[in-house]
This record gives sequence, structure tokens and C-alpha cells, in this order.
Amino acid sequence: MAQNQTELLIDHLDRSLLGLGSAATEQLIGKDPEAAQEWHFIRTAVDAVQNAALYDQVSSVKKQWLAQTSTARPNGAIVRTIYRNVMRVAACVFLVAGGAALYKYTTATSSGLYEKYYSSYSLNASRGTERQDAIDQAYNNKEWKKVATLFTALKEKNNKSYFLAGIADLELKHPDDAIGKFQQIIAVNVQSGGDYFQDEAEYYLAMSWLAKNEPNEAMPLLEKIKANKDHLYHDKVMSMSFTDLKILEYKK
Amino acid sequence: MNVAEKYTDAELIASIGNQKDLNKAILYLYQQYSATTSSFIIHYGGSEQDAEDVFQETVLAFIEIVKKGKYRMEASIKTFLVSVAKNIWLNEIKKKERSGFREKQFEKGRDQQDTDVSHLMGDLEEKRQLREIVNKLGEPCRKLLMLFYYENLSMKEMLDHLPYENEQVVRNKKYKCLQQLTGMIKENPAIARQISQIVK
Repeated sequence: MAQNQTELLIDHLDRSLLGLGSAATEQLIGKDPEAAQEWHFIRTAVDAVQNAALYDQVSSVKKQWLAQTSTARPNGAIVRTIYRNVMRVAACVFLVAGGAALYKYTTATSSGLYEKYYSSYSLNASRGTERQDAIDQAYNNKEWKKVATLFTALKEKNNKSYFLAGIADLELKHPDDAIGKFQQIIAVNVQSGGDYFQDEAEYYLAMSWLAKNEPNEAMPLLEKIKANKDHLYHDKVMSMSFTDLKILEYKK
Repeated sequence: MNVAEKYTDAELIASIGNQKDLNKAILYLYQQYSATTSSFIIHYGGSEQDAEDVFQETVLAFIEIVKKGKYRMEASIKTFLVSVAKNIWLNEIKKKERSGFREKQFEKGRDQQDTDVSHLMGDLEEKRQLREIVNKLGEPCRKLLMLFYYENLSMKEMLDHLPYENEQVVRNKKYKCLQQLTGMIKENPAIARQISQIVK
């Protein structure tokens, strides 16, 4: 196609768009297949330009629309942000709590609790009216082996001597022996209906079970003390972590 | 741009037809109809991005149909847009060779109105290819041709937007740009073949 003929067709198209097409050029397109083909290519090119320009315009409005809708929904955006933050905080709390629980689980031991809650029994503090005898003196002097020896040598044993001997056993790290002595006090009281050294025996029996790593045995005693506000060791037991004890029970 | 004007269907058609405030009309189309067509596209397996793209093509096709005077207002704009969107999405599904089942299900949901609009829309894939060819044209030519054929500016008015000395230079440049574009289209075998068949 000659250059001038192509330009003629382009001019014809431009005028056609204004409704001013040339009849002569129309005839040329109708008769000359080459001109007709070129005419179609030019029209296709112009259609393509118009379509691309319209596409650009729609794209531009679409971008503004999308920007508008994203700012017009601030609540949604904030909710998402808060939701994410809440979830992050929750995840952190969960991790921290989970870590703490795991730490507590792995570090909670019966002997650890025993060390934490065991305290030596002060003879003077609770039974000041008692006449101090040899075993009392040995006890007050923390001569645990001597207490044990004197207890064994005693002909007449009572709840107090059993109790002091039991504490001496605990101090000497003989919880099995201590358990036997404290249970003896409780058994005697059950039989006699008395309560001499009952509260002390119950509490230190529980401690002895913990020392022996038998929290399942300690728990009923501690629960009983906890439930009894008049118990000598109620406040002491109330200060204990029953979570730790439950963990120990579970681990057992 | 914050608040679109409100149009009746007739006002919207008139505004698009005479290209008066076309941006406002496009914005109105987005505000009123994008949600409806988007939910439809998503219902038929499209993503949100698919829905956005399809609605953009829908608006494009709708404006072209209106400009060519082919929109007869036999259905509401909403119904018509949904039909156009359905056709575009069906083409997308076919193109991407998605599941036959979904396509069959989709076909079942089409009504007579959908069939009517398909021939009004022309070959969307061809239009897409042609847009790509236009975009491959250098920016000076692209801009010049758009100013003349889309913005309908005169040679004199185009001088304000282009770095050329006078109208004759602009006119000569326009010849060259349009011929360059025509040449690029001729190099596309599918489009060239189609045009050859039309002429025969």
C-alpha cells in the first residue's frame, strides 16, 4: 500500500469520525481489496487506541474507588488490626502461661515442696507448760540422734515423745520412721478420743509423706487441715500452693 | 470523586453516551454494581482479584456497548451488567480450562439475557491482545493517538500536551504513529487472519 494512499485512508477515517467521510474514498475501499484490508487494519488500530484509553480511564477510577472503599471502612480495618493484636497478645499470654505451666510442671517435686513448707517444730512455742525432760533438752538443742536414742530408751512413751522423735526422724531424713510415729499418735487419739499432739501429728505426717515423695498420701491430710479453721496449722496450709500439690498428684 | 452523583438508568446511559463526566459515571457504576457482580463471580469460584478484574472488563464492555448505541434499555443496567460479567467470567473459565463441572453448572445458571449480550461484547480476548499491542507502542505515540482518537482534541489543542513545534509536525507524527500501530497489528497472526477473512 502506497504511503499517500494509507494517509488518504487515515484522513478518511478521521473525517468519518466527525461524520464527514469522503464518498470517493468509500468507493476505493469498496472496489480495492488491498485498500479495504488496509482500511480494516487502520480501523482496528483506532478501535484499539480507544479501547486502551478507556481501559486506562476505568483503571484510574477503579483505583480511586478502591482507595475510597478502603478508607470508608476504617472500622473493618481497625477491627482487623485489633483482632490481630489481641490474637498476638493472646498468643504471647498463652506461650508465657504455657511456659510457666510447663516450668511449674517440670520443677514441681515432692521433696521441693517439703523443703519449701517444712519448718522445725518449736517445742517451747506450743507446749510451754510441759516440764522439760532429757528428750526435751536434746530436742531444743537439735540433737536429733540423741532424741532418737532417748525415745528408743523410753519405757513410757506418750504422744509428745512420739512426736518429738518423729520430728527428729524428719531432721535425720528418715521420713519412713517419722510416718510411723505420727500415725501412732493419730491412732492413739482415735482410740482414746483425745487430741494430744493431734494437729501437730497430722501436719508433720503430711510433711513426712511429701518428704517420702508420696503427695497422694499428703493431700487428704492437707485438705482436712485446710477445711478446718480451728486447726493449729490451718493458716500454714492455706499459704501452700495447692496447684503444686495437684501437679505432684498428677505426676504421681 | 468522594461521592458519586446519583443517576437514573437513562441519565447514566446519556452521560456515558455523550462522554460527559465519564469518570463520575464510572464511579457510580462501581459504587452501585461492583458488589453484586463480585459476589456473583466469587460464588462461581472466582477470587476477589478475579471479581475486580471481571468488573473492570464489565464496565469497559458496557461503556463501549453504550457508546456504540447498542444498549437498548430492555433490561435494567444492573441486570445487563450481571449478564456481561457472567459472559466475561465464562470466557475466563474457558480460557483457564477450569473444571468442566463448574462450567456446566455455570451454563445452567445462564438465562436468555446472557446469550443476548455476548454478541454485543465482541471478542474480549482480541481486545485484550490489541490493548497489549497499544501498550507496546512508545509512550509519545500512545499519548498522541489517545489525545486525538479518545480525547478528541484538535491538532492545535494537542500542541499543549506534546513537545512538537506546530500542527503539521503533530499531523505527520500522527500518520507515522498510526501506521506503526497498524504494522504491529498486522504482525499478530490471529488478528491479521481475522481481518483478512472480513475483507474476503
